[in-house]
Amino acid sequence: MLVNVLRIADDQLWRLLAACSRWARDFRDWYQLPSISELRGRKLLREWLSPEQLAQYDAHNYFEVTGCHTGKRYRIRHGMGTNVYELDGAGRPRTGWCFVPKDHLAAGDVMLAQKIALETDERGALAVANNFTPR
Amino acid sequence: MATQIVMDHKGDTRHNFDAKDAKALLKAERRFKELTGAGFTAATRTADGEPVVTRTFDPTAEETLFFPRLVGG
Repeated sequence: MLVNVLRIADDQLWRLLAACSRWARDFRDWYQLPSISELRGRKLLREWLSPEQLAQYDAHNYFEVTGCHTGKRYRIRHGMGTNVYELDGAGRPRTGWCFVPKDHLAAGDVMLAQKIALETDERGALAVANNFTPR
Repeated sequence: MATQIVMDHKGDTRHNFDAKDAKALLKAERRFKELTGAGFTAATRTADGEPVVTRTFDPTAEETLFFPRLVGG
């Protein structure tokens, strides 16, 4: 009698552990999924990048733009802030620039706004930006 | 069909309209003025794909993108 009860309890315990393991895995998968706004932001960014920028972004998670006023090169890394770097002649980050849209947006949207700003109104973008030393 | 794309917390909101429809065009122009008046930047693309910032409503633009005012982070 006691042996039977223990067997049943053991079986139930294993089932519970298996279910918990499944739930934990599902939760991890759900948590790591990009949100719909992130996916939309990335899609829009990809539509507006030049073919060269898109290839660079796919390969390195960043793309480079040319400032419309100075001709300087800037690297825009995937992110939502402190992600714009002015490059030196050798392509190394020299100065970091932080400027973002006023409203909370997905990373792809932030990067697209930064790209358009540097390519069409570089001075205006840098005038509002804070600078930082690249690590 | 022309489109106005407004960046927002959902990613973006797209407003499609028929540029040959005078009423729809007027509504699109009103939206353009409201958004730019609220500090949004409007951008279109050239045939080469280069972005161009536009300050006035262009009824021939197939796609206009609006993003919020930029601030120092």
